[in-house]
Amino acid sequence: MPNITLEGVQKNYGGGAPSAVVGLDLEVRDGEFMCLLGPSGCGKTTTLRMIAGLEHPTGGSIRIGSRVVDSVPDGIYVPPEKRELGLVFQSYALWPHLSIENNVDFGLRLRKVPRAEREKRTSDVMDKLGISKYRKRYPSELSGGQQQRVALARMLAVNPEVLLLDEPLSNLDARLRLEMRAELKRIHEEFKTTIVFVTHDQWEAMTLATQIAVMSEGELQQLGSPDEIYERPANRFVAEFVGNPPINIIELAREESGGLALWAMQYITARHGELHGLGSVGIRPEAVQVTRVVENVPDGAFKARARITGILPTGGSWIIELDVAGRKLFSVTSLSPTCSVGDESWLWVQPADLNLFDGDGARLTPQRALVTEAAAV
Amino acid sequence: MSKTLLDMPRTEATPAEAPTAAPRRPKQGRGAAYRLKVALREPTTIVGVLALALFTYLIVVPILSMLNDAVLVQYGDESRSGQNFGELTAYYFQRVFASPLSATIFWRPLGNTLMIAVGAIVFAVLIGGTMAWLLSRTNMWGRRWFATALIVPYMLPAWTFALAWTNLFKNRKIGGQPGWLESMGMEPPDWLSYGQVPIMVVLALHYTPFVILLFGNALRRFDSQLEDSARVLGARRFTVTMRVILPLMRPSLISAIILIFAKCLGEFGVAYVLGMPVQFEVLSTSLYRSISSRQTGVAAVLAGAIILIGVISLLVDARLVREGKRFVTVGSKGSMNRLSDLGRWRGAATLGASVVFAISVAIPLLTLFLSTVMRLPGDFSPSNFTLDYWIGHDLKTVALPQGVLLTPEFWAAAWNTLWIVGLAAITSGVLGLLVGYIVVRTPVKFVGGALRQITFFPYLVPGIAFAVAYLSLFAVQRGPVPALYGTAAILVLAFIAEQMPYASRAGISAMMQLGKDPEEAAQVAGAGWWTRMTRIVIPIQKGSLATGVLLPFISGVKGLSLVVILAVPGTNVLTTYSLQLVDYGYQQAANVVVLMVAAVAFFGTLFGQKLTKSNLAEGLGG
Repeated sequence: MPNITLEGVQKNYGGGAPSAVVGLDLEVRDGEFMCLLGPSGCGKTTTLRMIAGLEHPTGGSIRIGSRVVDSVPDGIYVPPEKRELGLVFQSYALWPHLSIENNVDFGLRLRKVPRAEREKRTSDVMDKLGISKYRKRYPSELSGGQQQRVALARMLAVNPEVLLLDEPLSNLDARLRLEMRAELKRIHEEFKTTIVFVTHDQWEAMTLATQIAVMSEGELQQLGSPDEIYERPANRFVAEFVGNPPINIIELAREESGGLALWAMQYITARHGELHGLGSVGIRPEAVQVTRVVENVPDGAFKARARITGILPTGGSWIIELDVAGRKLFSVTSLSPTCSVGDESWLWVQPADLNLFDGDGARLTPQRALVTEAAAV
Repeated sequence: MSKTLLDMPRTEATPAEAPTAAPRRPKQGRGAAYRLKVALREPTTIVGVLALALFTYLIVVPILSMLNDAVLVQYGDESRSGQNFGELTAYYFQRVFASPLSATIFWRPLGNTLMIAVGAIVFAVLIGGTMAWLLSRTNMWGRRWFATALIVPYMLPAWTFALAWTNLFKNRKIGGQPGWLESMGMEPPDWLSYGQVPIMVVLALHYTPFVILLFGNALRRFDSQLEDSARVLGARRFTVTMRVILPLMRPSLISAIILIFAKCLGEFGVAYVLGMPVQFEVLSTSLYRSISSRQTGVAAVLAGAIILIGVISLLVDARLVREGKRFVTVGSKGSMNRLSDLGRWRGAATLGASVVFAISVAIPLLTLFLSTVMRLPGDFSPSNFTLDYWIGHDLKTVALPQGVLLTPEFWAAAWNTLWIVGLAAITSGVLGLLVGYIVVRTPVKFVGGALRQITFFPYLVPGIAFAVAYLSLFAVQRGPVPALYGTAAILVLAFIAEQMPYASRAGISAMMQLGKDPEEAAQVAGAGWWTRMTRIVIPIQKGSLATGVLLPFISGVKGLSLVVILAVPGTNVLTTYSLQLVDYGYQQAANVVVLMVAAVAFFGTLFGQKLTKSNLAEGLGG
């Protein structure tokens, strides 16, 4: 079973540069579609390349299945060509001097697969990816999307148990991206491969992954399913990085948060008692409900008076800009808003939708809230 | 760290599967084994270290050996220096720089070299600058054609023009065939026939293309909007030229000037052909003379001095260019290049360019060619024409009783040229690509950096000085390496070393352009190092490999200053063979050979341009 296990993996480029990866522990289980998500420079591509064996950690160890492929303490290193992985590059890295067919069957030739089988497997994988009609062409004669498919086919032809993808969709236009996303999902199901996927695009991560590892500055911030990541971010970084429009953050200790901070503080204290170290509250825009009649607010929800200062249609949904005692909040709704700009109204939020963070930005989970959350899930 | 991580069930590895559970080594030195394993896993590092050793031996060691010769008493100099053989001495320095002889050996040649260089630079900048402007910024007629035609002198060996000059202006000072002017009844004075003036003019003509290429490139990239802004602010055309255009062009101009200077420093053939008859010496000919009279120590000091001047001038260039970089960025992507309307000067400009073409290409080549088919120069009666010098039999000359094409020595020299230069070119092309590969791919930064520096070093060393260094190292047996002087091997090695700057630069840029991805993709697909090299890297790079072989080949075929020191009669190549013919006074035969060298160089360069679809300016500097 090819679990990929990273233990205390470090990567330091030296020369005084900050570490690219700091003590990373991560496990990708068999059949998972794991996405490494983070802003550029967070170490996600370095991590992927270390799994492939193209970069070398300066500390820690990496295992694929039961095989140790990198171990700095024990001086073990397995070169990329012996790792039996597939890797699709951001640039696709097709070999310009080989035809599409030869690009795809390269790995099979290396493995000395008999000709008949080789041809069959090559045609199969090219059929599955819809590139059979280009078999005699050269990479420079294909469009970006077609090249992308060839790059995938080239790796799938050797049927690797693990497929690594480095920002594979970032060079495609929006429409192709959507197509390829569906394609990747299908490939994952059809080929039963474990996939590790690097992206900075949260929608890509959300739509494709079964597990997301959010990284920042070389450190793992949170590992969880897309829903977990979105609904229960482990810290402020994850909360703010994921989600568009971004999460509403109310700093409780700061003056500028004004009355809203005070009300939130009172509400939380009333619910959970005095919470030590509470620093801020995060509320997803979808969780912010707006009503003109205070009677519509369910019991136990957090509520505050708000004035509507803007309504921005985004096609299919609306972003509502609210002013709460001088502090701006955003709400997103998919129902056509009945209110209009300038209206005095109420906002309310279910208690489970309040994400509490301590002063350092880590998630705070009060005992009583845990119970409620469990009930909600 | 997040709680969700801790919540995740972990599959615990059994002890048998987890070597990480094995007893750990002490903390320091941890990872060293791993790093070593990574570094040695790929042959890249080992190949890199081997390449580094090879180039140290081929480039650094000869120069060190030569410098060593400069400070140790050489065999045969014991009594003159008053010291024992092999002792540390300042004798050679004193002899070159501060003895009654030093005026002849060093100071006068230095003065001559500087005068010639300055003269050549002034001529080249004036002519080349004007031509560059006409070609890139005006609506002169035939700009496309001239753009190639005016570059031709750069493609031909410089001393082609020296021979052409002798053909035209030779006087009775030296024997052999009379010159054209003389046979038409005009006796040219010495100053026109030999020495400073002709050398200066010939070098200026040869190096004008440098200015046209470098300066022209800068002009072409110049954004017309900068000019327009000044004009809108009320500046007159002249003011714009002086205050905006020229300052911005300065870096490219300085580069061209210093490049020409460095080239003049090592130029041997022209000074030899045109200077010797009147004992006009430059540094390179003085060096040649001390080598021929076996004054190894003096030669070493002279060569060292030439190298030093060369290094200094190129460092100055590097510094000035770096400073200039600050404002070279003007050529933005959307740069506009508008052509000036020459108006009624259009015809005159075209005529001017034609005159330059005639003087720098047409007349020299034509006289060279005519001289090989005419018995007496300047006599156009049909009976005077002959093919004897090419394919004649039973001629009455002493040492050359038949046409050049029927002479075995010619074919021997041609064959030598082909295989010696060819072998060296192929080797340096392959090595260049290998250096590029190592520089781009090695995980050991030191190896890459050192390799890049060392292979670039010969660029700073004029060929003739480099040859002296080779002589110094390989003249005698050292350890397992036999004495190579007199063999073809020394020529091959010296050619390889001399071409490495271009070959390695080409290799590095080709590998940079390719990037790591295609090779890494093959690696992940399961290909080992050898498979990756032979199935991925070399096939993809075959185009740049072809250029990397062709350009050194051309440069080697037309090169003279390196071989003139290292070749012996048995290893004559075409250039030394033709120089020999000049020495014997067989001018026409020499011209035949030179024309053939020129043809190889010219068509080879054109072919190379076709091959890479590039223009010459990019490969310039050679």
